[in-house]
Amino acid sequence: MLGFGLIKTWRELSAKGIMGINRRNADYVLKYNKRNLYPIVDDKIITKERAISAGINVPEMYGVISTEKEIEKLDSILAGRTDFVIKPAMGAGGDGILVIADRFEDRYKTISGKIISHEEIEYQISSILTGLYSLGGSRDRALIEYRVTPDPLFKSISYEGVPDIRVIVLMGYPIMAMLRLPTRQSGGKANLHQGAIGVGVDLATGITLQGTWLNNIINKHPDTSNHVAGVQLPDWNGFMTLAAGCYELCGLGYIGVDMVLDQDKGPLILELNARPGLNIQIANNAGLTLRAHAVEHHLAELKRQGRTESVEERVHFSQSLFASIPSQ
Amino acid sequence: MRSLTLHLKILIALCVIIGVTVTAYQIFVLGIPVSEDETDSLWNIDAKVEFQANPRDPIKLHMFVPPLNQDYISLNESFISNNYGVSVNRSDDNRRVTWSARRASGKQTLYYRLVMTKRYSGEQIKAKGPIYRESLPIEGAEKIAAEALLAPIRQHSADVETFISETIKRVNNTSDDNIRLLLGGDVSSERKASVIDILLSIAHVPMQRLHTIRLQADVQQSPELWLRSFNGEKWLYFNPQSGEQGLPNDRLIWWLGDEPLLDLDGGNKAAVTFTLSNSEMNAIRLAKLSNENTEAGFLDYSLYGLPLQTQQTYQIMIMIPLGVMVILILRNLGGLQTLGTFTPVLIALAFRETQLGFGIILFTLITTLGLSLRSYLEHLKLQMLPRLSVVLTFVVVLIAVISLFSHKLGLERGLSVALFPMVILTMTIERLSITWEERGGNHAFKVAVGTLFAAALAHYLMSIPELAYFIFTFPAVLLIMVGFMLAMGRYRGYRLTELFRFKAFLKD
Repeated sequence: MLGFGLIKTWRELSAKGIMGINRRNADYVLKYNKRNLYPIVDDKIITKERAISAGINVPEMYGVISTEKEIEKLDSILAGRTDFVIKPAMGAGGDGILVIADRFEDRYKTISGKIISHEEIEYQISSILTGLYSLGGSRDRALIEYRVTPDPLFKSISYEGVPDIRVIVLMGYPIMAMLRLPTRQSGGKANLHQGAIGVGVDLATGITLQGTWLNNIINKHPDTSNHVAGVQLPDWNGFMTLAAGCYELCGLGYIGVDMVLDQDKGPLILELNARPGLNIQIANNAGLTLRAHAVEHHLAELKRQGRTESVEERVHFSQSLFASIPSQ
Repeated sequence: MRSLTLHLKILIALCVIIGVTVTAYQIFVLGIPVSEDETDSLWNIDAKVEFQANPRDPIKLHMFVPPLNQDYISLNESFISNNYGVSVNRSDDNRRVTWSARRASGKQTLYYRLVMTKRYSGEQIKAKGPIYRESLPIEGAEKIAAEALLAPIRQHSADVETFISETIKRVNNTSDDNIRLLLGGDVSSERKASVIDILLSIAHVPMQRLHTIRLQADVQQSPELWLRSFNGEKWLYFNPQSGEQGLPNDRLIWWLGDEPLLDLDGGNKAAVTFTLSNSEMNAIRLAKLSNENTEAGFLDYSLYGLPLQTQQTYQIMIMIPLGVMVILILRNLGGLQTLGTFTPVLIALAFRETQLGFGIILFTLITTLGLSLRSYLEHLKLQMLPRLSVVLTFVVVLIAVISLFSHKLGLERGLSVALFPMVILTMTIERLSITWEERGGNHAFKVAVGTLFAAALAHYLMSIPELAYFIFTFPAVLLIMVGFMLAMGRYRGYRLTELFRFKAFLKD
């Protein structure tokens, strides 16, 4: 009975084109992402430097601390700044990120209102340097950068933290997008496995779809009780163009591009991910495999014709093919 | 991509085919037992020769011993005799031992002992023999009687085989006057054999006598006479008494030809008694023994060719790929989350020393205590390396305390924590605490349980003695495993847990 049910589930998932971890790894990550290019996305500092030289918008970098000795530089880096973010260059899953929103007397105030001392910040940087938050525990660098102020639009459907937009990009073609909203449970972080909400976004219009929270489908934000669907994201084409351009930036064929919408600076690239998660499918109620196949088919066609497409053409292709909301 | 897929398919096919072929060759051609419990019979044949020595005469005793070129091979052969010189000669298809002594008196007893087994013999030599011979000279009444007999035999037979069996049938019909004349009142096997010999020789059919021993334990017996003839392809065996055709499986050819078993100079009243006994022996030990006694050397290049100490290590090591495969299946097909790939296998190896149940309790206890210490140290804001060092030291102390307590309580099990499990334990705690830092306590707990489960399953499979024996004896099985692992490398289907993870898709 159970076995039969599982086979049925398998068939249905397969028919919907839902991508599993094995397929993602075998057909996309291993096939399109060259191992030697990983450092570009794994190290946020390299990503940022590349993006700046390519003219792609990223949060401004205030400084980098690579050794314990350099922690002394912290004061000069922070001089005159009231809000900033400290993050490990090779951190995974949003860990080790310290967001300072304001100064309070001689101390600092984090985004959640906690007051911490200068020593605690230094300890945090020292932890980052020893590799506490890096993949595999190797030594790391600490990055101090501009704190993104989320666009007020997100206030109603978000609980503190910075909501970000994740777009899966295959060979420069955006194939699926999701808005990630921090929750109380995720501690202001926008990572789904920590309890953040993922909300699907229609590629053509930038209007939000249903949400996913811990593998379930939801319609309301658990902290604010506001509906997550039907919100129009501003400057959607800006996001799409930014995401599509990341292929040229890093050379990896299958990536997840994380972007934010700053109220002053507009869409910014936060980081790139060489192994983007699969829950985006639940948020969009659509499978990645079918969309990926469509893009691969299109690429094969282009190759036959011997031409390549520009960023705008690619965005246009994706938007015309992967629209979730039928246009009136 | 396509060529890569083809490449991979060929590689997988190669691995599997080589693996299966080598294993099948070992099982079906070399006859290596599939299971360790398989036993084979071992025959112990004693031939006791007794005779009265003539005083003052030099003694020379010839006796045939089995030529051993059939399905049997000798594991041990000994000639037990006091003050006798022994030499063994091979002539044609026979082997003959010669015992000799310058002087002996009174009753003499000599022993020949053969330990042999049926399996693991080398390839059969292609049979060859004469297919024509001249007639034996006979005259007068006997010639007429023989010719009178041959006419119906010719009529009732089609080939050599039927000719011989018809002849034997006739010779055994003692109511026939012609037969009675030829036998001359003697109905012994020997007499019948010589009458058959005469009849066959007139038809130019060659015939050879052979003397066999029946492989049957604890039965008084003397060599039984059989006849055989070569029909151009193979030897046909006949029993002159019963006309039975084909040598039964339990017969061992002792010698061929017309000569008597014993030939004694310088003595009299020679007699041979045969004693047979049968014992069962572990098949693989037998294979090893026969390997030493044959030139085939089929085990020389197997792992059994290693020194015993090394063999024991390899018996454990060769199971590691199986453990890794279990982890691979659990992770990539099942979707179980474990700490890395190799850690569960290492823990499974550690379970070998601590036993499963106790090992799980020990691991859970020490890991829990280690992690709680770690979370306490978290408040002290220590750097990672010093903190881990403290945790590892704590683990060592903890293990020492557990060993001490269990020793005082009389539980010797507690002492089973050797160096190896200790290293694995500390490593597990380190990795688990990193996971805790990176992914949170919930995830760490899930991973820990998954690791323990995978380790327990791997340990269970790795410690099945039949499986360990099979892989150790047929290491080519590993190639089949490699083929499977290669295939898994391009598996794209869902993992079992994903079927539950994406359940949300099915609600509408």
